[in-house]
Amino acid sequence: MSINHNLLVEVAVSGMFYGTPLVFASVGEVITERSGVLNLGVEGMMLMGAAAGSWASIHISGSNPWVLFCATIIGAAAAALVALLHAFLVVTLRVNQIVAGLALTIFAGGAGLSSFLANSWNLAAKPAPHQFQELSVFGWKNAPIIGPLLFHHNVMVYFSWIVVGATSWYLFRTRAGLHLRSVGESPHTADAMGLNVARIRYVNTMVGGALAGVGGVYFSLLIVPTWVDGMTQGRGWIALALVIFGFWRPGLAMIGAYLFGAFASLGLTLQARNVHISPDLLDALPYLMTIVVLIIVSNSGARKRLGAPAALGQPFIRDER
Amino acid sequence: MRSIAFERRTNTPKWLRIAVPMFGIAIALVLGAMLLAWTGHATTGTYRQILHRGFTDPGTFATTLVAATPLLFTGLTAAIAYRMGVFNIGGEGQLFIGAMFASFVGLGLGSAPTVVVVASMILAGAVGGSLWASIAAVLRDRFRCNEIITTLMLNYLAGILIQYLIFSSHSYWRELTGTGALFPQGRMLSERAQWPNPHIGGTPVPFGFIVGISFAVLIFVLLRSTRFGYRVRVIADAPAAAKYAGINARRTTFAVLALSGAMAGIGGASDVGDFRHTLDPKGLQQAGYGYTGIVVAALGRLNPIAVVFVAILMGGLNTAGLALQGPDFPAGLVGTLQGLLLFCTLGGEGLARYRIVIRRRAGSASRSAAPRSSSPRSAASPTEAPGLATGEVGG
Amino acid sequence: MNPESIDVLTAGTNLVPAVEMFGITKRFGDVVANDGVNFHACVGEVHALLGENGAGKSTLTNMLTGIYQPDAGEIRLYEKPLRLTSPRAAIAAGVGMVHQHFKLVPTFTVAENVVLGLSAEHRGVKFRRAAIERRVAELSERYQLAVDPAKKIWQLSVGERQRVELLKVLIREARILVLDEPTAVLTPQEADSLFVTLRSMADDGRTVIFISHKLYEVTAVSDRVTVLRDGRNIATVDTADCDQRSLAALMVGRDVQFDRRVGTHVRGDSEPVLIAANVDADGDDDRGALHAISLSLRAGEILGIAGVAGNGQRELGEVLGGIRRIRSGNIDVCGKQQTCGDPVAFAKSRVAYVPEDRLGTGLAPSLSIADNVALRSFRAAPFARPPFIRRRWLRSHTQELMSRYDVKAPGPETPIRKLSGGNIQKVLLAREFESDPLVLVVASPTRGLDVGAIENVRSLLVTAAERGTGIVLISEDLDEVRAMCDRIAVMYEGRIVGIVDGESADVNTLGLMMAGAT
Repeated sequence: MSINHNLLVEVAVSGMFYGTPLVFASVGEVITERSGVLNLGVEGMMLMGAAAGSWASIHISGSNPWVLFCATIIGAAAAALVALLHAFLVVTLRVNQIVAGLALTIFAGGAGLSSFLANSWNLAAKPAPHQFQELSVFGWKNAPIIGPLLFHHNVMVYFSWIVVGATSWYLFRTRAGLHLRSVGESPHTADAMGLNVARIRYVNTMVGGALAGVGGVYFSLLIVPTWVDGMTQGRGWIALALVIFGFWRPGLAMIGAYLFGAFASLGLTLQARNVHISPDLLDALPYLMTIVVLIIVSNSGARKRLGAPAALGQPFIRDER
Repeated sequence: MRSIAFERRTNTPKWLRIAVPMFGIAIALVLGAMLLAWTGHATTGTYRQILHRGFTDPGTFATTLVAATPLLFTGLTAAIAYRMGVFNIGGEGQLFIGAMFASFVGLGLGSAPTVVVVASMILAGAVGGSLWASIAAVLRDRFRCNEIITTLMLNYLAGILIQYLIFSSHSYWRELTGTGALFPQGRMLSERAQWPNPHIGGTPVPFGFIVGISFAVLIFVLLRSTRFGYRVRVIADAPAAAKYAGINARRTTFAVLALSGAMAGIGGASDVGDFRHTLDPKGLQQAGYGYTGIVVAALGRLNPIAVVFVAILMGGLNTAGLALQGPDFPAGLVGTLQGLLLFCTLGGEGLARYRIVIRRRAGSASRSAAPRSSSPRSAASPTEAPGLATGEVGG
Repeated sequence: MNPESIDVLTAGTNLVPAVEMFGITKRFGDVVANDGVNFHACVGEVHALLGENGAGKSTLTNMLTGIYQPDAGEIRLYEKPLRLTSPRAAIAAGVGMVHQHFKLVPTFTVAENVVLGLSAEHRGVKFRRAAIERRVAELSERYQLAVDPAKKIWQLSVGERQRVELLKVLIREARILVLDEPTAVLTPQEADSLFVTLRSMADDGRTVIFISHKLYEVTAVSDRVTVLRDGRNIATVDTADCDQRSLAALMVGRDVQFDRRVGTHVRGDSEPVLIAANVDADGDDDRGALHAISLSLRAGEILGIAGVAGNGQRELGEVLGGIRRIRSGNIDVCGKQQTCGDPVAFAKSRVAYVPEDRLGTGLAPSLSIADNVALRSFRAAPFARPPFIRRRWLRSHTQELMSRYDVKAPGPETPIRKLSGGNIQKVLLAREFESDPLVLVVASPTRGLDVGAIENVRSLLVTAAERGTGIVLISEDLDEVRAMCDRIAVMYEGRIVGIVDGESADVNTLGLMMAGAT
């Protein structure tokens, strides 16, 4: 057996595979929350992305890469539209962000619009005709250790790395990022300095939604890959926990996502090696882990220094006196 | 060119409080119709069917009450907690655990008198639900964990737990004889442990529904007139003021979460006693009572009495959804409609707090120092003159 | 404050108009904040905008800075009519504002704050940290506004933060500067140095508009004064032609006299009602906020606690009011040791507390007046018949309190946040006085109130002292503590640096103590 079939390598690789949708969703939520908008509707947005992506892969014809490209864009756009609804409610109408986010999940979630549309379009009938495949970058997929870890993923994994890098750069190195963060920290300051608080919040809520949608596409065209109602199985909520875990930083959120991916896939990896653990316990692991991690993060002193954007969840009203 | 601005209302007129939800419901129905038309379904036909199969067809109202019962409890669950700003989304899991506890008691006390069994099942359900909610309460209190995420994770865990009891183990709850030897299923309650259905006005009313109404009234009084309710109000409005008044926010939060969980737990007990007569993990998980309860509470504006009526409305929707499910009536339609209702009433409430003012803009470029011809003192064009302000927008 | 230190220009030497506002009207719901206000300021002058709280000063300037739009009227800058529809438009037109509550992002560096939202010419995708820090350093040198551009705002003192605000305005090349009560958070000495800076900015051809309700500042620094009252402009006068007394008459519309009422009610031989001995306590950030605080208070005495905001006064108020725990030390009320951090026990020992944060701590804003009256005593009779609250009794009790303390509100069920600032404070004081306290701790009791309400609150406090209540008055308003208190303790960095006699305390000594000099 080659070193690439080492248990640790396999766990790491499947952690990356199953963690990638969480990377998209949690990085998207980091962007949204950095602008001061809490969007609890990640689960709903992911499912909308998954449904739209699945629809696109069936109805668009063309070469495999072209169809997948279109499906990803369409999935992202569908989720961004749902996010737009959230932005309208919380930014323009100043509805309580928690309530609006819950409403969004119920509206778009597994028993809502995503299911309605998918069933209207009959998406569950057959597996997606176009699916993402593993690449062998530079033909190095069999290189020891680094081969499976770095050069033998599907294109979405590589895309997620670009997203993480670009988001970090955007947030911390650009003017637009500075403005975005100022809106999340102190909207009244941003407003007085001539920034358009509402527009910045709208845009970044939609960007966050689009990324959640990409995470959804990953489910319907990669992990499952056909339509199942509620197929994201609460991953949207785990993405929300990962934002806290990652202290609102894209890089840390990615590490968290890979950890969860590893835990979630541990059962499959072990089963392949004939190690038998109760499947129910393994099902429970990601949820248990989320709680454990939340305890550790919420209770650590680090939270105070690297905490949430100061204006997270607060509506901005200029005329308030 | 015009600019639209929102102005905060200083007073919300009374008629708006009625008009806004009505307007919201109307908008939701219109949006739903548009969605139906877009996906190639009949619009008015679908609505008519929902009305018939959910409410007006002979005999359906009894089914609707059965469907409304768990929603009434999970609606109370959400309403109590949200009143204090504690976002318990764990109604789902708390209901599962309540059902698990209640069916345990119901199976064990099968030969006792019905009064004893029913009372014990209610108590067991309440204990189960509040224990499950207490986990989130402890995590929030001791470790400052966000209860939204913990209660949600606990929902999944509760689902896995009851599934394990029936499908992956030889537990007390599982039927191992008869068909149970072939297909995993829960043990049935004895006749005596099944809850009575008193007939009121010719319609059989689930006993759980009556229990639910009693709790709705109790909670209404509790929140309105007691010291406990007063504490909840102060904590919800101003935590610093609560501290200043020496109110123990930790203890009150704990009590509220436990009470909230107990409601969901009794909902689970009623599901077993009134309806399924067994612990049915798949059925419970598919029903999604906990999540619909959030819709119920929000539409009822967190008022326990209003929750009763909204629960009936939602119960009817669910009943129709189940009865009609098929190609013309895809799964997810009911959830979508519920979501739309929620959005539109929330949005309406948001709008009602503001007044939309449309101002006519003289010129677009603010930076370009657009000159105006009129003399400075009489220049009063950016006014909110009666003709320009749209004033009240109905929703 | 020493007016001599500033070279006061005679107004009228330079009459190029910079800001002209004609017939400005602004309403908020039913409240008319500005009613046909006219305001003119010239190039190169320091123009004070004087008025009581609620006179409409901030509203007027907020329309100049694009935060609000007037409902009627016209604004001209340098003789060009303009519509300032947003802060961005105002900045582009050369208007810069230093707000009373600083508009700074605490987690950002000075440089990041300075460039936030900077206009198009400076824009690039990337944020060039080094270049910006260099530019900020240059400017701060030129105007002697010393501040480290790489530091985070939360690490800076209040005075430094104000310098950042000035730098923000300068880097945007603002020709018109608006400052909203800029001295409210400064020591008298810091205020003097600010005035020198403002003067040099005016000499560079800028227009400085300076909002204040403090008469001595206005006479010290401005060339001309515009007085606002009840949303209308009353007069614009050359500062050289008037004195504090005539300005006060213009501002209030009648003669106001705050009598010093000191010493008459202290019973010299009485036992102290409150003794704090060596109290150490942590702030909200778990770092030490109070160090070795010792003080004593006799019946009928008013003890002032002065200091620049953020030097531990708030925490001291909370400790004495019973809501903050202490790390070490002792607090005795009438010889009985208290359990700190237990507000119920403090209330039982008849300690009343009026916190600085009225809406939010002292009162629950969305709850009714009646509910708020019950806040400290809802547990037992006559407020409750456990487990129920006696709602009907509470309503009539509240009604009675409201008429006794002259609270103007539609009824006892009105949410407290709908009341005016003065009425809110009356409800709070009424509730605390009703407990017949031995010790009354009040923090900034007159902040944000208009003159009528201030007089009212002060006379209520004096009445309480005359009845024998010992009062701890925490205030950043030096005039207030000097007028009201028998003794004044000055706090700096969590310590009491000294206690002086209220009668003989002068502003300069107090100012030096507030800056930490002993």
